[in-house]
Amino acid sequence: MADHSIEVRSLTKRFGDFTAVDAVSFDVGRGAIFGFLGANGAGKSTVIRMLCGLLDPTSGTATVGGFDVGRDPEKVKRVIGYMSQKFSLYEDLTVVENIRFFGGVYGLPAKTIQSRLAWVLDLAGLEGRERSLTRTLSVGWKQRLALGCAILHEPEIVFLDEPTGGVDPASRRRFWELINGLSERQVTVLVTTHYLDEAEYCNDIRLIHAGRIVAGGSPRVLKEEVIRNPILEVATPRAVDALESLRNEPWVLETSIFGTALHVGVADEAEGRRLILERLAREGIVPERVDRIVPSLEDVFIHKIEEQAGTGPLGEAGP
Amino acid sequence: MRAILSILWKEFIQLRRDPKLFPVLFISPILQLLLLGYAANLDVKNIPSVICDMDRSAASRAFLDDFVNSGYFTVAARVERTEEIDARLDHGAAAIAFVVPRGFADDLAAGRQAQVQIIVDGSESQTATIGVNYATMVASRHSQKIMLDALERSRGRGLKPVLVDPELRVWYNPDLKSRNFMIPGVLGLILMITTTTLASLGVVREREAGTMEQLIVTPVRPLQLIVGKLLPFVLIGLIDAVFVLAVARLWFGVPLRGSAALLLALCLAFMLTTLGTGLFISTISRTQQQAMLTSMFFIMPQMMLSGFVFPVENMPPFFQALTTVIPLRYFLVIIRGIMLKGTGWAELWPQAAALLALGTLILGLSVSRFQKKLD
Amino acid sequence: MRALPYAFVGPVMRKEFRQMRRDTRSLVFMIFLPAFLLLMFGFALNFDVKHIPLAVVDADNSRASRDLADKFAATEYFDVEARLDRSGDVDGLMAREKIRAALIIPETFSEDLLAGRSPSVQFLIDGANAMSGTTAAGYAASILQSYSQRTTLEALERRGARGLTPPLKTDVRVWYNPELRSAKFLVPGLMAFILMVILTTSTAFSVVREKERGTMEQLRVSPLPNAALIVGKLVPYVLLSLASAHLVLGLGWVLFGVAVEGSYVLLLLAMILFLIAGLAQGLLISAITQTQQVAFLLSILTTILPTFILSGFVFPIRNMPLAIQVVTYLIPAKYFLVALRAIIIKGAGLPAFWGQLVMLAAFAAATLALSVAMLRRENQAGRRRRREGAS
Repeated sequence: MADHSIEVRSLTKRFGDFTAVDAVSFDVGRGAIFGFLGANGAGKSTVIRMLCGLLDPTSGTATVGGFDVGRDPEKVKRVIGYMSQKFSLYEDLTVVENIRFFGGVYGLPAKTIQSRLAWVLDLAGLEGRERSLTRTLSVGWKQRLALGCAILHEPEIVFLDEPTGGVDPASRRRFWELINGLSERQVTVLVTTHYLDEAEYCNDIRLIHAGRIVAGGSPRVLKEEVIRNPILEVATPRAVDALESLRNEPWVLETSIFGTALHVGVADEAEGRRLILERLAREGIVPERVDRIVPSLEDVFIHKIEEQAGTGPLGEAGP
Repeated sequence: MRAILSILWKEFIQLRRDPKLFPVLFISPILQLLLLGYAANLDVKNIPSVICDMDRSAASRAFLDDFVNSGYFTVAARVERTEEIDARLDHGAAAIAFVVPRGFADDLAAGRQAQVQIIVDGSESQTATIGVNYATMVASRHSQKIMLDALERSRGRGLKPVLVDPELRVWYNPDLKSRNFMIPGVLGLILMITTTTLASLGVVREREAGTMEQLIVTPVRPLQLIVGKLLPFVLIGLIDAVFVLAVARLWFGVPLRGSAALLLALCLAFMLTTLGTGLFISTISRTQQQAMLTSMFFIMPQMMLSGFVFPVENMPPFFQALTTVIPLRYFLVIIRGIMLKGTGWAELWPQAAALLALGTLILGLSVSRFQKKLD
Repeated sequence: MRALPYAFVGPVMRKEFRQMRRDTRSLVFMIFLPAFLLLMFGFALNFDVKHIPLAVVDADNSRASRDLADKFAATEYFDVEARLDRSGDVDGLMAREKIRAALIIPETFSEDLLAGRSPSVQFLIDGANAMSGTTAAGYAASILQSYSQRTTLEALERRGARGLTPPLKTDVRVWYNPELRSAKFLVPGLMAFILMVILTTSTAFSVVREKERGTMEQLRVSPLPNAALIVGKLVPYVLLSLASAHLVLGLGWVLFGVAVEGSYVLLLLAMILFLIAGLAQGLLISAITQTQQVAFLLSILTTILPTFILSGFVFPIRNMPLAIQVVTYLIPAKYFLVALRAIIIKGAGLPAFWGQLVMLAAFAAATLALSVAMLRRENQAGRRRRREGAS
């Protein structure tokens, strides 16, 4: 067995003129929860699909579970589980029928399917709804069912593409409990998400933007080391107006709206505070609060993107 | 093996769960058959005609009566002037008109050649051709009769007309019922349309719904997937075939002189080609709409060029050559042979071989094109 | 809601156009497939029964019998594929479809002729193909009839009668289609048939596709009236199929000499009504089905065979039992074909076929109204379901 569950080297995917994934490289250790963060269209799904053997890479290599995805995609499929972004189980089948079907397709013997069936139902909280048509389930349950079907055959590596999209917060937390459980059992989990708060649950993260990895590391490291300059939170009901007025100021490094507050990156805390209050006063805006905050991952992300846009690609940051 | 069974089982559940699919798959073929069985009638009889007798003599009446008595024509109208024929032919009230001019009887009595006219509406060329044939035959016969009557009177001695009248014997379908010809063809057509459609949509549907993605990320092999998906359609096709055969036999009385077992076995060979075609279409279509339109591209020519209605030997050589790759053509020979002529393996093995060859070819091509990839 | 339904039609139309444009293959097929099919069928198909493979069994082998056999060989109606002196092999040849007819001349043929007796000749037909069987029988009878006539004349001449001519001369006039080419008859029928099938299957997808994708839900929640949805979906297809139909007409004229003898304006009117009727049928199917699969199957099965059989394209409606003739009133292609043949072949004016246009309009209106009603019923059922059980 390789040291890492997943090893990716300069993986690239082009669709005609459009480069969806640009020379991405990373490693994932066994039993790690690895997160891919990025906006929609950043290339997360494309990476996952290549790692699952669903798409052929244009160039570069990747090894999953010891097998090369370019040469032995079918061998890769035997050791992985996959949950796609768009719900892809059979809506006109019942819960039990879906489970049995995928069990059969993975070649599990009947007894195993029977025991796994009970386990998946418990995991997904679907006891009592075995005979419901999948179509009638709410999104949260559907996702849990999809996860269950993805790990029926107890794979060593699981790929989850936006598993919590459209799911309520309670279900989301439950989902992450499941993922943690998997990790404890030494199952490697690669998750993509655009919920930056979920990234906090991962051991290791990569930020993807426009097909490239723009930052990476554990959440703590990212937050502490990526953003060197202070971030000030400006709380005001007129956040949009404030944004408009501050955005083009030369001393503002970056700025973005967070709910009813503004996060503003400045070179120096005290000086920054003064300039902000002064500029906003000219618009007649008096903020309730201007505090320095510990940057969240979202701040990190936006910082990185703006950095990209300004000075060009950074390349990847190692853990 | 497990995988194939799982897929088969899933397909059956899905088929059962679509409430409208069942009636469409099993009831509509029967309806189509009933419709066609009664409607398909190429026997040209009782052609409505216009009688225009401008002579109004015993001789002209005798002549015109021959047409009516022949059984080929019915009288739609009797008119006095030729102008009145136009309107009736134009509006389709009649397809043919017989005109006897004034002076007919006089000419005959004087031993001169008398003129008669047959006017036919050529727009329905089939009726016209056959109608003209019948009409000229009747006229010619009448002419011969006149000749011999005249001679008998003048010579006084019995001269029997020498008629070379054929004893007509019709094999396999003594009443020349076009129904017996068409109904076996309908079975082939329905089988082709249903199985090609189901196969072409089957794979594309999963792709459109997104479930194909989940399926191809499993270690299932393409062949397993394809067999699992297509086998239910074979069953549906066979059930359809049995239904249609039953209706044909029991309701319409179309004979089944050969072996039903052989027929069903060769249905399977035929379905090899139709399912292969459908599968091929699904590998080149991204959406169900595309699959549908592409299927039309395959289905319509098969229907028209296979000998279903239009005889293959009438076609220009290029098209006749083309029909050698049309599976329905071979199947029509098979089913008409088995049902009407009672032919068996000895006579039909070339057709069976052609079906197997074509089927293996297209199925093999489709399987090899089938990628377990998203793009 | 009643205020401006037609205002909503615009966006629906534009969306449909845009979706059409993105699916190039479907677009190409919708426009060019009918013309392509006409090309193929126009050249390949005809009814003129000719070159019937024939076996001649001549047990007599006299000048008279050979003479008769030659008469059959000389026409293009029959191709002599086998000359036998005994009838033993005929069975096998028929079963294998090597021949479809056989002329059997007995040993005593010439003997009988000379003696003034009527010889017995057999003509066997493969009845399995009833169409050509009937026609073959007709040809054979015709050939034998003229042979009889000549033989009688010869016999009479031998007895001394001279200079005999047949007393009746038949002048045959064929209107509209002097050479009795079935192309003139077939091509309009082909046009109607091909167009009808493609039309209905094209629109059969349009509404049901939204249902399958889930976008229908979104449409239902909007204030879009059902009628606007239907009309908005209809119009782009009408325009598209007009282009397609003209291509077909053009091809028919250039390649098959089927020209518009009558008024083009009337033809256009008939065509538009027919197109709407066909597309409406597809829309109705779309409104009542839930999956594209069923919509497709239903549209194919309700157009291909019924139009082929019941439109008067191949089988004359006149010959059908009354019950079936009633059913033909549901086939738009039937009305269109009458009008088409009238305009194209006969150059007739409106009086000859205005009834057909009325029926087409009625069919279109009824089908469209039904589609709207079906959609409304579905909406209500959907609302009830949502009220009763949200999961």
